[in-house]
Order: sequence, then structure tokens, then C-alpha cells
Amino acid sequence: MNMLYALTAAAPSVALPIIIITVLSLALGIAIVIIAKMFALPVDQRFDDVRAILPGANCGACGYSGCDGYAHALADNQEPNAGKCPVGGPDVAQDLASYLGMEPPSFTIEVAQVMCQGTVEHTKKRFEYSGTLTCTAAHGLFSGPNSCTYGCIGFGDCAVACPYGAISVENGIAYVDRDRCTACGICVKTCPKSLIYIIPKRLNTYAVKCRNKWPGAQTRKNCSIGCIGCKKCYNVCEFGAITMDGPLAVIDQTKCTQCGKCLVVCPTHAIAKGLMSYEEIHGLPTKAQEQVQAKTAG
Amino acid sequence: MKEMLIILFSAILVDNFVLSKFLGICPFLGVSTNLKSAMGMSLAVISVIEIATALTWPIFYFLLEPNNLSYMQTVIFILVIAALVQIIETILKKSIPSLYRALGVYLPLITTNCAVLGVTVLNITKSYNFLQSMVNSLGAGVGFMLAMFLFAGVRSKVDHADVPKALKGLPITLISASLVSLSFFGFKGLIEKLFA
Repeated sequence: MNMLYALTAAAPSVALPIIIITVLSLALGIAIVIIAKMFALPVDQRFDDVRAILPGANCGACGYSGCDGYAHALADNQEPNAGKCPVGGPDVAQDLASYLGMEPPSFTIEVAQVMCQGTVEHTKKRFEYSGTLTCTAAHGLFSGPNSCTYGCIGFGDCAVACPYGAISVENGIAYVDRDRCTACGICVKTCPKSLIYIIPKRLNTYAVKCRNKWPGAQTRKNCSIGCIGCKKCYNVCEFGAITMDGPLAVIDQTKCTQCGKCLVVCPTHAIAKGLMSYEEIHGLPTKAQEQVQAKTAG
Repeated sequence: MKEMLIILFSAILVDNFVLSKFLGICPFLGVSTNLKSAMGMSLAVISVIEIATALTWPIFYFLLEPNNLSYMQTVIFILVIAALVQIIETILKKSIPSLYRALGVYLPLITTNCAVLGVTVLNITKSYNFLQSMVNSLGAGVGFMLAMFLFAGVRSKVDHADVPKALKGLPITLISASLVSLSFFGFKGLIEKLFA
């Protein structure tokens, strides 16, 4: 108060505006508080709790705008499935289900996979590309520089898009790190070739790691590890899990029993097992490693 | 009475705040996408303008002017309007949640809406008395509503029109807004003749 007196005495022209503003602000503030108390809304505790259980990655893999959207839907009982968050995995699904009193969801762990094995050893270059180094740009120019126009371009648009740093580009194609991938599906939308698929994360998952729709001869010419549509796997599969999409074999993961017969018959090793490449499965050194060995030996 | 009518109708038609003075363009473009939220927004603006005028006019003439503090008018008015919007938002959230959600971000935007501040300031500069100020504010609010409604109608037509790709979205919206605004120039001089 002493200060105010001093101020009033020293500069009366400043003191009055200060007092007016202070009093007015106080009065308005008190009015706001009173109104807020009168019209207080009951806060939904469930939303906050559900939001806390979710991992907060906001990737949108659940199909909602983000973790908030999914939490709202769950808390308002509009969403009966607690297992929609691939980032949180089965633990989060379990927590959500027990918190919300739902049936424990059946949760299959999934992982993104690039359906192409056409590394630089297996494919050729049709031309030197010197434009912007993104897959989308390269795809726009004669479908990219690689001999296989269906295959991975390898400029790593998906690696840039991945919020978990799970994708890296090696030997000209993108690889998904199985341990880091959360199957959020952002890379699936990013890939201009639509090469990335979300498949069950099992060590013995079989997948045709090729998406080209050329006739076999043309595939042979352009890639030594592509699916040539020979139908050997189609004929050997006893469970009807393999269908032919034109000259391309596709494995239905829901029907596949992981018997492994298709892997044996595939002449081009286009089918991969356990999310590993052909060399990894058979314990062989990869061609890149061979080259390094040859160089050091020579 | 005649004077009040002149003030009211010139605020609605001749000096339309959105289309002639170009104030409050942000909600005008943002909320005019459908008639329902345009209606809600206009009602919110009308009530905020009216209450703001009822508060700022006495504050100016009983608090600021006697103390030679007219220069503080902008600061004080913004303070009052911001607090008012906050209060209205709280009330709407509880009483009419659907309207609250439809208005979304535009309700807090009334806080910095130049139309609201503009009306309260213009009331002072035109040295209206209290009743005249209230009528002028009502006219401004109804004018805002009229502009919103007209433009919501225009927009629903534009949505179905075959617009060149380069003009899709905001550009064609701004062009149609300017055309609607042009039409309001036709009202110039109308009111004086009408009540003469």
C-alpha cells in the first residue's frame, strides 16, 4: 500500500490508469471464475485414464485422428475393440480391455514388410537418375530408374516417414527393422509403389516378396529374385492359401499354416520365410558380404 | 424514433460491418460453410456485441472520460470483450454443447474479432448516446448475420459449381465474397432517401 501511495504522490497520472485496469481485471476475473463454477462440466475421468494407457504416438494406425480420437471413442463406448493400437501391442490392448471392462481382444502382432528383394545385385539400372532423391519424384519419371518398375526404388521415402526409425535402405531397397516396427502403417501410405504390407509378425511367416505383374520371361530379364508366376507354390499349397494375381503369387496370411512347402519349390526364391531373406534362412553369406570377402582376399 | 431507425438500417445495410467496412472477415469466411453454424455464430456475435456495448459505453463515459483516460479505450475494451467471450464460451459449453462444438475455434476468435471491437469503438467516435449505441450495435450484429446468411447461400451454390482447379477452395470464396460485397454498394444513399 505504501508503494501505491508513493506512486500516487509521484505520478498521479500513471497511478489512476493502473488502478482502473487492476480493478477492472480483478472484477472480470472474479466474474469468469463464478460463471465457470456455476456452469462447471463434469470431467470425464475415463477419457483421461484411457488416454494415459495409450502410448501417445499419435500415428493414427487405429483409424482415428490420433490417440485422443481413439481414447474419446473408447471412453464414449463407441468403439468396442480395444485392440486397435498396434504401437501399444497386446499389453496396451489388455490394459484397455481390463480398464473398460471389455472382452480381452485377440491381438495379432504385426509388422510392416517391404515386398521386394530386388537389391542392386538382383536388378539393373535402366538409366542414371539425377533428379530429386525421393521415391515419389523418381516414380514420376518413367516409374523410376530400376529395371523392375514394380520394385523398391530405394530412396527411402518410407525411412523418412517412419516415426520410429525402423526403416533403413540397404543395397538399394528398404528394410524394416522387425524390433522397432510398430505396424502403424504410415510407410504403407508413403510408398509410391505400394510395396509395403502389414503382415503377422512370426518367425515363420511366409510371404511372396515380390509385387511385379509382368510375365515370367520379362521378370527374369529384369530381376533375378522376382516372382515369375510359375504356379509351383500355387499347386503345392494344400490349404488354398496361395492365389494367383495374374502372374504373381500372393499368400493369404489368414489361411497360411506355415507348412513351408512353397518355400522349397520356389525356383527364384521370391518367397521369403520368417521375414528373413533367402540367404539368412539358409545361413549363406549375402552377396554383399561375398563381395567384401572377395575384395579382401584379392 | 426515426433517428433510431436510420441508425439501425444504415448499420445493417449501408455500413454493413462485414461487406462495407470489411471487419470480422475471419468468421465470415470460416463459419459460413453451412447455415446452421452461420446462425449460431451470428447469434453469438450479436449477443457479444450487445453485452460488450452495454459494458464499454458506461466504462468509457463514467470511468475513462472524466479522468482524461480516453487513450486507454482500446486496452480496456479488449479486456472487457475477451472476458465476455470467455464467459459466453463457458455458458455455451454447458447449455448448448452442440452449438459449442459447431462453432469450434471461431468462438474464441470473437475475442479478437475486429467487428466486436470496431462497433464499440465506433459508438464512441460517433458520440452516440447509450440507446443509440445499443441500436447501432444491434444493427451491426444483424448486419453480420445478414452477411453470413447471404454468403452461406452463395457458398452452397459455389460448392456445386465447376470451378477452375487453380481457384478451388479459398480463392473462389474470396472472389464471391467480393462480389457479394459489391452488391452492398447499391445501398449507398438509400437510407437517407427512405426516411427523408
